[in-house]
Amino acid sequence: MSRPLAQLLASAAFVLAAAWLAHRQRLGLSRSLLTAALRAAVQLALVGALIALVFRVPGLAVAFVAVMVATASLTAGSRMRALPGSRRIAIAAIALPALSAVGVLLLVGAFAATPRATIPTAGILIGGAMLATTLTGRRLVEDLGAGADEIEARLSLGDRARDALVPLTRRAIAGAMVPLVDQTRSAGLVTLPGTFVGLVLGGASPETAARVQLTVLLTLLLVQLLSALLTAELVTRAATLPGERVAVPGATG
Amino acid sequence: MSARLADRIDGLAVAGLAVGHGGRAVLRDVAFAARKGSVTALVGPSGAGKSTLLRCLNRLLLPLAGDVLLDGVDTAGLEPCELRRRVGLVGQTPVMLPGSVRENLAYALEPATADERRLTHALRAAGLAPAFLDRTAGALSGGERARVALARALTRAPELLLLDEPTAALDADAARHVGATLTGLARDGLGVVVATHDLGFAADVADQVVALRDGTAVVGTPAELLATAPHEATEPAS
Repeated sequence: MSRPLAQLLASAAFVLAAAWLAHRQRLGLSRSLLTAALRAAVQLALVGALIALVFRVPGLAVAFVAVMVATASLTAGSRMRALPGSRRIAIAAIALPALSAVGVLLLVGAFAATPRATIPTAGILIGGAMLATTLTGRRLVEDLGAGADEIEARLSLGDRARDALVPLTRRAIAGAMVPLVDQTRSAGLVTLPGTFVGLVLGGASPETAARVQLTVLLTLLLVQLLSALLTAELVTRAATLPGERVAVPGATG
Repeated sequence: MSARLADRIDGLAVAGLAVGHGGRAVLRDVAFAARKGSVTALVGPSGAGKSTLLRCLNRLLLPLAGDVLLDGVDTAGLEPCELRRRVGLVGQTPVMLPGSVRENLAYALEPATADERRLTHALRAAGLAPAFLDRTAGALSGGERARVALARALTRAPELLLLDEPTAALDADAARHVGATLTGLARDGLGVVVATHDLGFAADVADQVVALRDGTAVVGTPAELLATAPHEATEPAS
């Protein structure tokens, strides 16, 4: 049996087994599992075909990265839609750090300036920036509502609106960095990160895979921190009203 | 209240004020003066606009129309942080900031002004012993938190103090104690504006009552208030 066929059959068998198990346990999940698997298969087939096209026509790489940024911004922006300009905040917080980092990596020659190297690298960095933006923005929107009394107390004690929001933004940024810090700390011990696995399966030596993975992980630390900081700054600006006041999302006043 | 009269008020003067949310007025044509050295009670049922009106006095909210003057100066022209230091506000929920009572009281104060004597004086004025300074603020009871929040506002030496439902979470004894504290502070020259649903408390502590009814304000003495609105018995807090 050829390897591609074996991969296809094995993965189909695993998802069918999961659906059967969910059905036996009456979890009401069988349909969702099968639908999700089918959807993933279609999406990956389409993306595979698209990336193959991009590899042949390098000019399309820019459009592909733009689509990744737009999709990530829509996703992250929807998590903080209670704030005015949430999509603009998400685009800035994702695109600026992620694309700048890609530029630096290409400039210093860390990766070849080809679609084959640039697109996966940009994808990982955009994904990381999206995660940091989503976590920071969602936490801030929640805390602006739940912490309205604390903000009012600080304003009443003479704080500027920006200063009254600092404890909230610090908590949100620290919380957003936890998954990446944990992932970086446990890299290779608890899980083998995706880049490493992909490169090894693709035929690269473990040493090369480890070096590339480390480059990506360490770049992500700065990219995600910058995304979280930018999100916090832009949310602070969006929530600050003239006269040192703070807009509480969802409030009528 | 005429503009010329408002110019001469030593304290807050409110003239033609409309307040509300989202452009919709809850109160219109509100006019009263809250002088330093006196207690003014804003009374009315839940939703009457007491808290909204209170927050317009130190511009945490902006009025829809009208003026608020502090010592004859339009508060719209004052720097907001400076205005809020001069006109303090203690919210209905006494928020404790992280750390000790000392850290709460010294919050945002210049180190030179956060001396022990000042903090102790504020604690005593709020009815707490100096030993409270080193307690963890988050571990205090509801009544103690309310007093620390009051002391924290007092450490800034405000000229006027706004309090939103200060007795809402207190039993009768504690409420009486808070009432005595407020009247004592007013005797020392502080202007006090207290929003309360409790007419009995208002009658006990206030020199002047501003009753919020039917979208506007009626100003009178506590005796006049009790005579004209006996049906507005104590209502549960919102």
